[in-house]
Amino acid sequence: MALLEVHHLVKAFGGLKANDDVSFAIEKGELLGLIGPNGAGKTTCFNCIAGMFPPTSGRIVFDGQDVTGLPAHAMARRGLARTFQVYTAAGDLTVGENVLVGCFMHTHLRSSAKSKADGILDQMGLKEFRHQLVSELPVAAQKRVTMATALGTDPKLLLLDEVAAGLNPSEIEATMAGIRRIHAELGVTVMLIEHVMELVMNISHRVIVLDYGRKIAEGLPKDIARDPQVIKAYLGERYVREHAAEIGG
Amino acid sequence: MEAIRNALDVSDFPKIDLGVALAVLVFLFCFPFFPHSAFAMATMIQFFIFSLYGMGWNTIGGYGGQVDLGKAQYVGIGAYTTMVCLLRWDIPFWFSMPIGAVLSIGWSFIIGYPLFKLKGHYFAIATIATSLVLKDLFEVWKFVGAARGLGILPYKYHPPDFWRLIFKEDIYYYYIIFAFFIVGLLYMNWFRKSRLGYQLRSIKDNEEVARSLGINVHWAKIKTYAIATAFVSVVGSFHAVYIKNIEPEDTMSLDISILIALMAMLGGAGSLWGPVIGAGVLIPLKSYLKEWLGAAAGLLGIDLIIYGVIIMIISAFEPRGLWGIVERIRRRRRS
Repeated sequence: MALLEVHHLVKAFGGLKANDDVSFAIEKGELLGLIGPNGAGKTTCFNCIAGMFPPTSGRIVFDGQDVTGLPAHAMARRGLARTFQVYTAAGDLTVGENVLVGCFMHTHLRSSAKSKADGILDQMGLKEFRHQLVSELPVAAQKRVTMATALGTDPKLLLLDEVAAGLNPSEIEATMAGIRRIHAELGVTVMLIEHVMELVMNISHRVIVLDYGRKIAEGLPKDIARDPQVIKAYLGERYVREHAAEIGG
Repeated sequence: MEAIRNALDVSDFPKIDLGVALAVLVFLFCFPFFPHSAFAMATMIQFFIFSLYGMGWNTIGGYGGQVDLGKAQYVGIGAYTTMVCLLRWDIPFWFSMPIGAVLSIGWSFIIGYPLFKLKGHYFAIATIATSLVLKDLFEVWKFVGAARGLGILPYKYHPPDFWRLIFKEDIYYYYIIFAFFIVGLLYMNWFRKSRLGYQLRSIKDNEEVARSLGINVHWAKIKTYAIATAFVSVVGSFHAVYIKNIEPEDTMSLDISILIALMAMLGGAGSLWGPVIGAGVLIPLKSYLKEWLGAAAGLLGIDLIIYGVIIMIISAFEPRGLWGIVERIRRRRRS
């Protein structure tokens, strides 16, 4: 059974359609990649699913129930967690406290939230940073904090928004291992927006491509990589014409 | 009882903080035994009252980052409920105090619901407006004595009256408000590490992230506002029986609202000690300035100028107040 179904999603900001008739589904246990050039509407799509704002039209079904237009906190309580591209933590919460906030979603008791947070900090390799402010950490660790915080809510579906952006190759390797571990050990279904192709093409079971708000392709990573539409979206019309032979072969 | 254990848990504070806090508490407990003037005694009681107001403000204003400049309306509701209950129906303090808190919380829900749709400065201005409207209503409401207010005539009772809290000597008031102060501190120590406390700090950090972590931001703010309100209302009830004369212009004035917010901000918004430090600095300053300058040279209002200067200094140099300076020094020393 599909964990998440998106039917004919449209999100318009004034006259601009950031998402235009996007439909797809995620199966339980899947690792789905969402790619597309800048401004293709990937984050808007995430925001609609996560309830940050309601879609203009279309339907979203999560875990068998119609959740279209539910607010973000209600989506979180139903088991949907997300990370943010730019994690602006200007406040005074330390890394440990950030993770704790997520862990408080299912319990009122400080002791149980605390022990759960400790476990997650340990898993994500953040123990040494626990008393530091998020803004004091290197980028790679900051990204891990956003994932750890989201994991505190015990999600069924985790939406990762560019968790590898700005990382160096060895950090990308570590992030990839981290995502695989979350997926395999915690049994969390994962959907990720990513520009780092080596990551998304490596770990996704399936990839969806958006361009100008529309879904232009969907399929296995190896097929997507050779899809002329996708290559055109990324590299432009001319590149496709000039390299037609290679792509075709 | 995990809640009680958490309220008493101070293990995350550095030893020196606890040492200083303990020394101050011992001093406060012993203060009445030292020789002192009646004026010093009155100032100390005002210090406790305003620290407690500041603690209430600190929940929503400090931890939640919602600058509330309308706390005087809840001082008013608490004070008037206790006064009216006593004078009209002879209901003693210990019953009128919770009634006042319930009325205040009810009012806080009514205005909190629309108010928390606003953000930042708009929210602050709206709190001032509601507070002033309520004050104006009380000024024309005959049932509560209109602009002339209400007063207790102590000779009608038999002090020491522990039910109605009517005493001749200030020392009784001193220890009662001291007990409130301890309870307030313990409550705040619990609150800052409670679920709601963390949720608020997350909201202050970034509302989008808070929402994505399952926090109903609007409702969390309303709930906390109600807590802040109850705090202020309870102390307002005490304030009424202590000063024995209340009128809208004093009890519910904008000065009170600003003073409450200012103390918490000066001491350190969003920290346990902030409101206490702020009250410890500002209340003696206010009392003695009035005493020395105001009476002597006719310089009434100079305290207002000083508040203005303090606001400017805080906002320019250290938004986290005096406690923020301490923390910054500590942070620098560690790294």
